[in-house]
Amino acid sequence: MKRITRRDKLKIYGDLLSALDAEANADKIVLTRVQVKINVPFDRLKCYISELYELGLIQDQESLKLSKKGKQYLKEYEKVLEFMKRMGLTYQ
Amino acid sequence: MYDEARITVEIVSAVICFILVRFMIKPYGLTREGRYLGLPLGFAFLGTSYAIVPFVYSKLLAQELIWLPLLIRTFAFVFLATTYFFSKRSSKNTRILWNITYSLLIVGLTTLFLVGITHPQFTLQTYFGSQLYIRIFNVVCLSYIAIYTLKEHVKEPDPTTIWIPLGFILLAISQYSLLFWYLDSSLAALTGSLTLRLAGLIIFLLVSYQTFYSPWKRTDK
Repeated sequence: MKRITRRDKLKIYGDLLSALDAEANADKIVLTRVQVKINVPFDRLKCYISELYELGLIQDQESLKLSKKGKQYLKEYEKVLEFMKRMGLTYQ
Repeated sequence: MYDEARITVEIVSAVICFILVRFMIKPYGLTREGRYLGLPLGFAFLGTSYAIVPFVYSKLLAQELIWLPLLIRTFAFVFLATTYFFSKRSSKNTRILWNITYSLLIVGLTTLFLVGITHPQFTLQTYFGSQLYIRIFNVVCLSYIAIYTLKEHVKEPDPTTIWIPLGFILLAISQYSLLFWYLDSSLAALTGSLTLRLAGLIIFLLVSYQTFYSPWKRTDK
């Protein structure tokens, strides 16, 4: 059986930004689809989205498009995760 | 001529290690989790130990300090092994444990360093008596990391994750080869050790450069 591990906020932010970026090409970002992708309760998802907005990582809370800062952060985040994977390190 | 070659390899190894520190600090920079500090610290200490060797061999440093590179190198491998040991454990449960471990390692290194400086004769005698065991311990630490990373690769086979275990295996064989050099002063063992170490470090450097500087392709999760 696969062990479910707790994610810290950083990992959730990363997963959320990644999901929002993947949905960016759609006409409208459907929150429930994002919720399923990153596996968090809906009320918590709303909280995380407003936190991302406060951090300047998304343009606004309506379109949910990533800001320039958000895109840079996501790029760096994915690179470091890939580096950790290649180094054989587990981040959970 | 031979000493010059060795000194060159030591300097190149030190430079590579210091470049690697820049990459190895990134996991800590992103997560701010102390358990990943062992990675940059390990490579920084490794680089320092390689950087000291030329001074010892060119007699610029007192011969009483011949133990210094081995001591620092051993702590470097322990820092690296500790990072891998804690990386799989939940950060919430082991935070105190890794903080204590790293603090103890720093305190231990500082204490041994101070004892070595203040009592050079005692340290020198201990060094000649115990360096074989310390070298074996280094091989054990590196083997642990190599097995750990290899297991991670086997769990999720990916062509990009095989290089780091290979790098650690080369470092482990390099340390193992140094054991033979220590026992019979074999030139082949020393040359092999230096070559393998350099190859291992170059692998780490290439993997780091490829991850951070090659055109980034997202992998859909």
